[in-house]
Amino acid sequence: MFFRLQLPLILTFIAGMIPIVAFFFTSEATIVKAPTDRLEKWMVIVAGFALLLGVINVIQGNLKKIERRGPGWPYAICLLVGLLVPGIFGILSAFSVGPFQGIGLRADGGYTPFAWVTRFFFEPLQATMFSLLAFYIASAAFRAFRVRNLEATILLVAAVLVMIGRIPVGDAISSAVRPGALASFTEWLMDKPNTAAQRGILIGAALGAASLSLRVILGIERSYLGLEKSE
Amino acid sequence: MESTGKRNGLVQSLRNFDRRWVFLLIGLGTILPIIYPIGFGVSTTPPVQQLYDKIESLTPDDVVMLSFDFGPTTVPENGPMASAILRHCFTRGIKVVVIALYPIGGRALAVQALNEVAPEFPHLRYGIDFVNLGYKDGAQALMKQMGEDIHGVFPTDANGDPLSQLPLMQRVHNYKDISLVVSLATGVIGEWWANLINSQFGVPVAVGCTAVSAPKYYAYLNTGQMIGLLGGLKGASEYERLLLDGHPSVSAPYNDPTRFNAMKGMDVQTIDHSIIILFIVVGNVAYFLSRRRAARV
Repeated sequence: MFFRLQLPLILTFIAGMIPIVAFFFTSEATIVKAPTDRLEKWMVIVAGFALLLGVINVIQGNLKKIERRGPGWPYAICLLVGLLVPGIFGILSAFSVGPFQGIGLRADGGYTPFAWVTRFFFEPLQATMFSLLAFYIASAAFRAFRVRNLEATILLVAAVLVMIGRIPVGDAISSAVRPGALASFTEWLMDKPNTAAQRGILIGAALGAASLSLRVILGIERSYLGLEKSE
Repeated sequence: MESTGKRNGLVQSLRNFDRRWVFLLIGLGTILPIIYPIGFGVSTTPPVQQLYDKIESLTPDDVVMLSFDFGPTTVPENGPMASAILRHCFTRGIKVVVIALYPIGGRALAVQALNEVAPEFPHLRYGIDFVNLGYKDGAQALMKQMGEDIHGVFPTDANGDPLSQLPLMQRVHNYKDISLVVSLATGVIGEWWANLINSQFGVPVAVGCTAVSAPKYYAYLNTGQMIGLLGGLKGASEYERLLLDGHPSVSAPYNDPTRFNAMKGMDVQTIDHSIIILFIVVGNVAYFLSRRRAARV
């Protein structure tokens, strides 16, 4: 039980307290700063392993799906091909195997295999996925953006004003009354009411994160240990 | 009686409006202005002007760190920002350290931007006037670590050459040697530059973000954690306008009809915003008419 519960809790407490204490010292206090610098270096390494874990997890999950012929299994094949082909190209490029010399452009300006896959498959596919949003936003605005009550009306009016204020047509409209008036009003909306709301959200999220961190550091929150409730 | 019937028919057809017409109009509103540019004018907002002024105030001895924290999804918004800021720095002789912290395509986009802009300034030399340190995983931890030792985080540049061999990096060791950090961000990394790096290390930070994430950055702008903000395509087009007005010598790529830039993109945004607003109005008219009809029944 010591190795499954007490030891991880002690390590979590120490690892959590070091950066908090170090935050209040300047870089001259090396005895306090050195451990936190070391921890940050470890974090970069751990992040690399986390990436590897993620890749293994995706491969395992999708291989199982293909094996079972689960719903949408052909998409799982596409996903694995999309993951493995650039991945293998990237690894071969890192070791400069055969035509896989680096991951950027060749000296003559031509594409290396990895750069070619990135430029002509990955980038257009990613851009296409995001571009679809424009169509769905327009459709959703038509169907759902309704003046149902006061709150919805305020939201709608603000949204329409910001949308108009963000395009040159807004300048043309407002120039009939006062040049730049709509752009200034849009900026005021973003700068004052929007900022007030954003600050509320940010402060709330920060307090939530701080309280959760404290719960983890003090050993109150233990779900990350993967123990059963009885343990 | 006949006019009531017509109105009911209109309400019904508006309510049952096939959304594929919306898609078609948005598609045309996007494609046509790209093929046939309109050239709407662009007005400038204070957050963009502040970043422009900051870079104008820097000298050739200063170093700007340009962080590619975005992927291919947001290239139409972030890409023109990257090109404009690189051109602004290069035309003023300001040194640029390029890094990428976004895992999905950040490095490739940094290389593309440099390949596009650097040849326009043939007198600049890699390693002396600008460097590309490539991508490194670890975001927050790595960003903090650079406050102590950039060479420890990026031992080599994107080409695999040791940083100690690059003359520019021989004088850049941590944020104290950086005059400005500009993060071009898709997601949360831009926020980390403001609330983590500016707060702890004091280095001035500016962010170029997508239009949808611009509202949250105003909170950091107001507190002084950021010195400037480019919000979406509008922000990018404003910066391009300022750059062209202040430095007409860099106008060639912006006059090239085969190259995309944010000012051209604003034509698309103008048409598409107008279509969306039109649909919102039409949708609400249908909603009111149907409510009136329901009240009568």
